[in-house]
Amino acid sequence: MRNLIPYFTLGYPDNETLTHFLDIMPVDKINYIEFGFPSNDPRYDGPVIRKTHNVGNSNFSDEVYSKYFEYFHKKHIKMYSLSYYSDIRNRFDSFIDYLQKRNFSGIIIPDLIIDYFSEGKKIINKLTEKGFEYIPFFSPATPDSIIKDIASITNSWIYYGLQPSTGIDIPYELDYTTERINELLPGREITYGFGIKTDEDIKNLMKNGGSGVAIGTYLVKMIDANDEKGFVDYINKMRGVLDE
Amino acid sequence: MITTMNKEIMPDKWYNVVPDLPEPLAPPRDSKNDISSINLLNKILPKEVLKQEFTFRRYEKIPDEVMDQYEQIGRPTPLVRARNLEKKLNYSGKIYYKYEGATATGSHKINTAIPQAYYAMKEGVKGVTTETGAGQWGSATALAASLYGLPAQIFMVKISFEQKPLRKTVMNLYNGNVVASPSNLTAYGRKMLKEHPDTPGTLGIGISEAVEYALDNDYRYMVASVMNVALTHQSVIGQEAKKQLELIGEHADVLIGCVGGGSNFGGFTFPFIPDGDDTEIIATTANEVPKFSKGNYKYDLMDSAGILPEVRMYSLGADFVPPTIYAGGLRYHGASPSLSLLINKGRIKSDEVSEEQVKDALKIFANTQGIIAAPESGHAIASMISYVKAHRNEKKTIVVNVSGHGYLDLSIFGEKK
Ligand SMILES: Cc1ncc(COP(=O)(O)O)c(C=O)c1O
Repeated sequence: MRNLIPYFTLGYPDNETLTHFLDIMPVDKINYIEFGFPSNDPRYDGPVIRKTHNVGNSNFSDEVYSKYFEYFHKKHIKMYSLSYYSDIRNRFDSFIDYLQKRNFSGIIIPDLIIDYFSEGKKIINKLTEKGFEYIPFFSPATPDSIIKDIASITNSWIYYGLQPSTGIDIPYELDYTTERINELLPGREITYGFGIKTDEDIKNLMKNGGSGVAIGTYLVKMIDANDEKGFVDYINKMRGVLDE
Repeated sequence: MITTMNKEIMPDKWYNVVPDLPEPLAPPRDSKNDISSINLLNKILPKEVLKQEFTFRRYEKIPDEVMDQYEQIGRPTPLVRARNLEKKLNYSGKIYYKYEGATATGSHKINTAIPQAYYAMKEGVKGVTTETGAGQWGSATALAASLYGLPAQIFMVKISFEQKPLRKTVMNLYNGNVVASPSNLTAYGRKMLKEHPDTPGTLGIGISEAVEYALDNDYRYMVASVMNVALTHQSVIGQEAKKQLELIGEHADVLIGCVGGGSNFGGFTFPFIPDGDDTEIIATTANEVPKFSKGNYKYDLMDSAGILPEVRMYSLGADFVPPTIYAGGLRYHGASPSLSLLINKGRIKSDEVSEEQVKDALKIFANTQGIIAAPESGHAIASMISYVKAHRNEKKTIVVNVSGHGYLDLSIFGEKK
């Protein structure tokens, strides 16, 4: 099954609304889920996701979400945390312990190899030792040698952001993008994210060897509009497109 | 069509250093919380320019139409062995200079103005707009726009506008419209004029005005420097130089260039980066604008108004008002992110020179090689001379980029400053 990874920032827009959307989500249509732990400085996100962090920050409650973590775990959906290293650096070990206790499979850290490059490998190796997946996060600006290097010390799938940050729309060449990453990392599972909206995008990414997509900004818009039906339909439809 | 003679030296692709950097380049960041200044670039830059700004393609094909214009404006530019200068300095190594002053507009700036105007024209926009310091960029923009039949609105830093009236004449001859910045044409300009009526202007203010003007008039903004795409286009300088050296069987031991935003420097030196670490690379700035020694490596605004995204670079602060030095093109507060990263990692070294050194260097260069270099380029020459003095017995092959000629900057020799 190809990866369909919905993204939610915990605590946005409030706990009640978010848990309601998690309740109605067609779980059999997804296999991974990504939870953003609200950041104080979500600097590599676009305005839509940035806002979710600012709001989520004051609402997050482990008591509310631990039940959901339990629920997704039981449904065999792999959970990944999206966390900025700048927020967790001072409590890194305890935060990873917490995620493991809550049955998360791994973590995506968008700022690690950008802002903390010299600490990067040490942190990645530490996660591997703990049996926790580090999901390499690459973007068009990641140099070739770094893509190869970081990928080689991990075994997990790769998160490739098609845009310089979430929810923005800079023109790019899809074919060339996939060709480059396939060439650098032959045989590796590549999941694409950032700015994916249409069926056409997804079809082309899959045709070119992609293993899945992550959807964030687009879901936030539906949550904002309280569009339950649109949300459920969208997840169902995306699964259909992925498996075509 | 490129004549056979030039075809051998002129590259048919631009080189982009981003995929070859030693660490990931920090992405640009929105400067405001509620809107995306990155997304706004869609309305500021021609689509193709924007695509190239964010590309990781190592090589980008130069369109045939641009190749043709490159040849028309004097590419390839000469690479000359400065034997007279070697003799004068009593140097036992070799000195070469790449002379961008030989282009039609008198500097390297035309190398990126042509493709940017070309892409704007292809997109069918109403016109192009930009800022200019010393006037080299404004001249290049005006000519490039005129070649493609587009009007150009140019915001010239006020102090230069006043000190260099001939530049205005040049831009007018190329069909450009020029105003002193801050100006009354934009809200930001009017605000600046009200709050700081005596401001000499800065490149940061000029950029802010041009970007606002582009957004309000369905124009596109032309990027002089700092952004990656300008450095990529400028790579014709370094690629040509490499080829020219290869043809005469030379290997560059040292490359030296001056840095305003980093476009001539990046264009000249980056094509040598993938070849390994055995070429020493030195970036020279003015003492008065000590961005690499006194600036911080951090996210900062490219323009003073904060319309453009923030980028991580060496910066003295977007509101830094540099002394009104003789080399207007070096007054910018920051430097291109890719260059900043390479400096931060130690791959590229930096040097600073004083006005006195620059004037001496310009004089020596004029009376040995006959070339009256731009004051900006004078920094690179001064830096090269001090390198020669410090490494007298090492017999190195030094290549310096002379980014422009200084015929319209001669007043620096007449005034006290
Ligand atoms: C002749 C010349 N050299 C150098 C510069 C500095 O700009 P950059 O660092 O982008 O090459 C300028 C800018 O106006 C210039 O006119």
